[in-house]
Amino acid sequence: MAKLKLQVNGEEIDVEAKETALLLDVLREGLGLTGTKRGCETSHCGACTVLLDGMAVHSCVVLAARCEGKELTTVEGLGEAGELNALQRQFLKHGALQCGYCTPGMLMAATALLRRTPRPSLDEIKRGLDGNLCRCTGYTGIFDAIQACALGDK
Amino acid sequence: MHTAGNKKVKPQSFSSIGKPAPKIEGRQKVCGTALYTADNLIPGTIWGKVLRSPYAHARIVRVDAARVKSRPGVMAVITAADIPDVLTGRRLRDMPMLARDRARFIGEKVAVVAAEDRNIAEEAAQLIEVEYEPLPAVFDPLVAVSEGAPELHEKLKDYQGLPKLASSINNVYSHDEWRIGDVERGFRESEQIFEDTFTTQHVHQSYLEPHSSVLSIDKNSGSVHVWASNKAPYQTKQSLAHAIGVPAEKIVIHVSAIGGDFGGKGALMDLPLCYFLAQRTGRPVRMIMTYTEELMAGNPRHAAVIVVKTGVKKDGTIMARQVRAFWNGGAYGAMKPIPSVNLPGAVKAAGSYRIPNVKIDSYAVYTNSVPCGHFRSPGMVQLVFAGESQMDMIAKSLQIDPLEIRIRNALQDGDPTPGENKHGLIDVKCREVLESAGEVSRWKTFKKAPHVGRGVALSYRNVGIGDANARLSLGPDGIVSLLITYADTGTGAHTILCQMIAEVLGIPFSRVKLTVGTTDSFRSESGTGASRVTFVLGQAVLMAVDQLKLLLRDRAAKMLGVSADGIAIKNGKAVVAGRSARSLSLAQIAAAAEGERLEVESYYEATETPPEGVFTACVAEVYVDTETGQVHLRKLNTVHDVATILNPVGHQGQIDSGIMQGVGYALTEEMVMAEGQVTTLSLGDYKIPNIKDISALQTTLVRSDVGAAPFQSKEIGESAISQVAPAIANAVYDAVGVRIKDLPITAEKVFRALQDRGARGS
Repeated sequence: MAKLKLQVNGEEIDVEAKETALLLDVLREGLGLTGTKRGCETSHCGACTVLLDGMAVHSCVVLAARCEGKELTTVEGLGEAGELNALQRQFLKHGALQCGYCTPGMLMAATALLRRTPRPSLDEIKRGLDGNLCRCTGYTGIFDAIQACALGDK
Repeated sequence: MHTAGNKKVKPQSFSSIGKPAPKIEGRQKVCGTALYTADNLIPGTIWGKVLRSPYAHARIVRVDAARVKSRPGVMAVITAADIPDVLTGRRLRDMPMLARDRARFIGEKVAVVAAEDRNIAEEAAQLIEVEYEPLPAVFDPLVAVSEGAPELHEKLKDYQGLPKLASSINNVYSHDEWRIGDVERGFRESEQIFEDTFTTQHVHQSYLEPHSSVLSIDKNSGSVHVWASNKAPYQTKQSLAHAIGVPAEKIVIHVSAIGGDFGGKGALMDLPLCYFLAQRTGRPVRMIMTYTEELMAGNPRHAAVIVVKTGVKKDGTIMARQVRAFWNGGAYGAMKPIPSVNLPGAVKAAGSYRIPNVKIDSYAVYTNSVPCGHFRSPGMVQLVFAGESQMDMIAKSLQIDPLEIRIRNALQDGDPTPGENKHGLIDVKCREVLESAGEVSRWKTFKKAPHVGRGVALSYRNVGIGDANARLSLGPDGIVSLLITYADTGTGAHTILCQMIAEVLGIPFSRVKLTVGTTDSFRSESGTGASRVTFVLGQAVLMAVDQLKLLLRDRAAKMLGVSADGIAIKNGKAVVAGRSARSLSLAQIAAAAEGERLEVESYYEATETPPEGVFTACVAEVYVDTETGQVHLRKLNTVHDVATILNPVGHQGQIDSGIMQGVGYALTEEMVMAEGQVTTLSLGDYKIPNIKDISALQTTLVRSDVGAAPFQSKEIGESAISQVAPAIANAVYDAVGVRIKDLPITAEKVFRALQDRGARGS
């Protein structure tokens, strides 16, 4: 077992985990941050997407020990003071979620995209989210929500 | 991308119904606080992992788990010898909890291990020694029904839940049949007869949440508490009680958030094993399938062989249609939820046409492959591909326009259909959706470019039957609370129920609160599925609101000293007729109840399929790259017949969802099988559409006036999917002249067909 110091959603957290532990397991089982979802566990579906120093990564294939000294953001870290942020609100408004299982990962991938490219084109949205699968929505609502957000809709 | 078509829907005069109300559980879902089964981290919970059979069909000679029991960290090991010899299933009880003396598919569970740590459990399970003696296996349903094929279930006749119509044909455990007229006479009266065989592949529902089970036994009461990605809680409670030998009243199912269902989340899966492990270790147990396990041993859509024989007059009039469907049911029928243990779509195998002579036979067949279950519009998706592909082949042969031949044969008001609608369909919009599809796609004026083609397809379905409960109360704060035990699998059903209550009582949507109870709340009900929820649960909720209104009028009458007849409930108030100044708010009535509960309960059951059909037409436009065979979907126009739309965001969501799943089914999705072994064992190999696969979708709504569901609404959850694959197949034919009768329509198949045609020089 190793003692890890992680920076999660702006907080410094000490956690004990095996050297081989995956970030997904440490977030969910170790820290109880179950907003990050366990999906395919082979880095295809993106349900486990979190931000690592602002980059969207699939936490099912990242070693937790590699995240020391880096800034981690999970879906629990979105929004401020209990209020939803603009992206979360647009997801609700445009029907960008149904069962909600892909939603935390989608939100994190879209957050990374919008930070990198505040006004993404359709193709940039497609590239930015092509590591995240959604079986419910047919992606239409997700497109609409991200575009609305990029256009400044609150 | 989706663009709205010319929506021919009248504006509504409702206050909540028809408004784009946001999902009531949406906030939790975008904050990551919605509680799915695996998120329920009960302290002390241990993991269960299974060992699965590597053989498609084998006798199990010996299972030796002794060595594994003493491994560090292993808390329990269970094989078939350690648990009761009970067969389980949703209807047909034919599946052992662990393979006992025989394994019938690759992926069947043979042993299970519990450990504190998931990896220890997984590793230990793999080290259990099993000696197998391979047996002859059968994978093709047509071979399985033939004489001399290996018999998979010698004791079939003794199984509980075996449908009455079970056939004497080899390996057939369910045979559904429907007849109209005399099909042989119909063929004699035909001028041309077409007979074609179509085949469809296994596909996985691909909900992103794999099957998850958490089970805890209360040490004091002995109650068994269950959290599971399962949308049929009462059926599950009964099946689990039978499987583990515990009275049903001792089992409590906590209805959890479900990460996608599409028909796939209703079976027991790992729950019995969780129970036996919990019983032996005294600890709560969780079992979460990996996606590899999902793909090899979930309960995917049936692969099928479908033979369609259609007799027509030269003018295209259909005289007779005979359909024989052979469903590759896999090793067990246990995953199918309906009493016939067949596929419900089979009843509509004749398509959306008025045909005087119809004969349908639907056979569920055992093979040594993964047991299959239900997936969005089960049976219909396969049958509409077959029937609608053949319609184009007929049109081509008779030199009639494909849209025109469909319009000529379209179902009309009053038409009966095989097995349903004895008194005839009502308010049929079959012709209208076809004509509208022709208009919006500019069918007649379309200029054909090289290797570009278009195809049309048609389907219909309806709401499903079943039963539902609702409990409604008015709290002291004036909040109206609804308690139900139906899961919302993501469709927005819960939100719609709150809209209905807000509408009838004239209160803001935000004043309605919905709670999902456990199975202790009610006696029983059908559970989510079959496009029944908004219909049967919606009707139960409307009944409850009416009862609550009566109760409130009564209370208000006493408080105001008038007769209850003179009181109306409007805009969230009890108002004395003709004297709107004299009124009481719901909160005032509730406050005066002085702790007495203002609560009502209702139950609704539908036993007969309502006569309103939902018709859907689809026009696909494709470009085919003739050098590679790759099909590029350029555009999809779908036309849906709708009555009142309860929530436009949710409604469009169901359309988009069904269509995308239809596109995957048509072009990319296939659980590739090699001698019973699924070889596409990750979501990298099994290809569901991703965001780059989205194409130009246009939705058009055609207005009808009546629907069986509340406020004259209709089904939408399952009606958008079936017509996509045949529309694309027909478009491919139109583009390059090759007919693909075997799904999915891969580049390889198209390329080969183009080469064959080139070789034949046609």
